[in-house]
Amino acid sequence: MFAAAHRLNRLLAIVDNNGLQAVGRNDALMGYTSLEEKFRAFGWAARTINGNSMSEIVAALSEVPFASDRPSAIIARTRAGFGVDFMEDQILWHYRTPSPEELQRALSKLGQTPLHKQPSHA
Amino acid sequence: MRKAFAESLLQAAEADPRVIFLTADLGYGTFDVFQAKFGSRYVNVGVAEAQLVCAAAGLALEGWRPVIYSIASFATGRPFEQIRVSLGYPGLPVVVVGAGGGYTYASSGVTHHSGEDLGLMSLVPNMTVVAPGDPHEITQLLPQLLKLKGPSYLRIGKYGEPAYQAEAKVILGHGRVLREGQEVALVCTGQIASTVVQAVDSLKAEGITPAVYQFHTVQPLDLSLLDSISERVHTIVVVEEHLPVGGLSAAVSAWRALRENGPRMVRLGPPHALVLGNPTVNEMRQRMGIDSAAISETCRRLCRSGNVRAPKGAAVSAIAT
Repeated sequence: MFAAAHRLNRLLAIVDNNGLQAVGRNDALMGYTSLEEKFRAFGWAARTINGNSMSEIVAALSEVPFASDRPSAIIARTRAGFGVDFMEDQILWHYRTPSPEELQRALSKLGQTPLHKQPSHA
Repeated sequence: MRKAFAESLLQAAEADPRVIFLTADLGYGTFDVFQAKFGSRYVNVGVAEAQLVCAAAGLALEGWRPVIYSIASFATGRPFEQIRVSLGYPGLPVVVVGAGGGYTYASSGVTHHSGEDLGLMSLVPNMTVVAPGDPHEITQLLPQLLKLKGPSYLRIGKYGEPAYQAEAKVILGHGRVLREGQEVALVCTGQIASTVVQAVDSLKAEGITPAVYQFHTVQPLDLSLLDSISERVHTIVVVEEHLPVGGLSAAVSAWRALRENGPRMVRLGPPHALVLGNPTVNEMRQRMGIDSAAISETCRRLCRSGNVRAPKGAAVSAIAT
């Protein structure tokens, strides 16, 4: 309320909205809610994007501030562990450390090499 | 004392353009002159203490010197985590002001009582905790707090506490002698000092002359002054408007417990309990044994009892009055 009342148009809030809490899913525990509507109700200019899409992220950021007289909010809908099929959208991986074998499988799904194994890494 | 604080704040803002004042919607009428003069350096964040602290932290990171204000119980209790994590942890130069410390807001009930604020703030490492006793001490201490690199807490009263004529300089981190004396030393912090001084001054006519020391800085506590006091008296009486946990008496007890020997200790202050029933401040102090009459009576008992220096290893005792 303070930010909107003072027209802080250089303030941007980004919500990494993966729908998960530490011990359950947001919707199941807290009821379905639209974060975009909530920010708008408090006087912010709010938009929702696919948070796992770099092109959508870049497009949204390039349009900030969304309004000249109020703060901006981006609700970035994401899937936790996006790109690794056995990790996606699972609360368990907030707690589990991958085994070396799981790490290799995850990295190969992402098509990535760990930094410390890259030839150019100092 | 609030008036003295408002005036000190004004002077501080005049001297340093980085000083900025934030309030959690309290201080009606007190800061009108400040707001008129320094409009853009007066911010009311609303009744939102966590925001008060976090906004101050952000400002401090940008080079401002924030002074933030609410009633003592609200300024310290509700945003305790924000104070710990956003001020204490990064060590930011923010002065947290708690108005109506102790039982100043007696008639407003338990929510507004502040018998815990000094303890809460002392729990944060690197937090300087200060409770001035009269307007002069505030005007001397605020500028010193504003020079600190880290956070501080300043507990102020509400009513016009009278200035107690004392010559000793007011130096942050150092206790100060308010009245020289013998046999017994009264040790206090905050606005109760003026009641202590009043009691001691009235005892002069009876030939009873205890000393009075004001420890406006509760953290860090001036242990070397306590050491030097203990060479000269047989009993230290701690007078506090704070619960027995976490405040001045607890800190002095800890000092005393680690010494091989030293003066006997007596505490005057509220029991570890909430105060119910809507008494006035004066009624409360009477019940708690920290009004002028109770302080005088304690001194009479201790000075005339012919107490010799306590034997080695004497335990701390608390006398309920």
